Amino acid sequence: MKTIQTRFGEVEYDPANLLHFPAGMIGFPTLHNFIVMPNKKEGPLFWIQSIDDPAIAFVLTDPSNFFPNYQVAPEESEKNSLQISDDDDCFVLSVVTVPPDQKITLNLAAPILFSPKTNRAIQVILENTEYQSKTPLPA
Amino acid sequence: MLVLTRKSGEGIVLGDDITIKIIELKGGGVRIGIDAPRDKKIYRQEVYDRIIEENKMATQWDMDTLVSLSTNLSTEKKDK
Repeated sequence: MKTIQTRFGEVEYDPANLLHFPAGMIGFPTLHNFIVMPNKKEGPLFWIQSIDDPAIAFVLTDPSNFFPNYQVAPEESEKNSLQISDDDDCFVLSVVTVPPDQKITLNLAAPILFSPKTNRAIQVILENTEYQSKTPLPA
Repeated sequence: MLVLTRKSGEGIVLGDDITIKIIELKGGGVRIGIDAPRDKKIYRQEVYDRIIEENKMATQWDMDTLVSLSTNLSTEKKDK
């Protein structure tokens, strides 16, 4: 096990069990490896902590918790990035923006595709979509 | 930045596998055709920039807000 100092304190992690973003997050191309942090509380939110930059962490959620009809299928090139074939699972996650007033929004325009088999993830931008980068939770 | 002048119908080649063509100039806009390998992601810049901005904002959160939010969200779920 290794540890890093983050803005949330010291975090212990297993280097063999990281979430790998081959292309980084959009706007953060050099951040390739993240620790998946279990939420201390119950609920649909969890967070990933960059080990390349301890100041960077994203809150994520499974968007189907809030938007049951939201679906994103990986394109061929995205399957290659994830190193998966057609039969492998590919899960969709959304980046959550958490402002101090707690009126959170989900970025449905740029979901994260995640393969549990390879522990690889990529953030993609949906083209020609009505989904917004700042989607409030359904009322 | 390299600046080139092109006329309608003319193009630019980037490397070995990307061609950009000026299709038409109309009403203050330019229609552009792009030939590139399928795995090359092509975005309108403002769309790409918006996602970068949103990602930056998404890194600005604090643990207290997240914890109290999680409590609220899981209570709401139980209520349903």
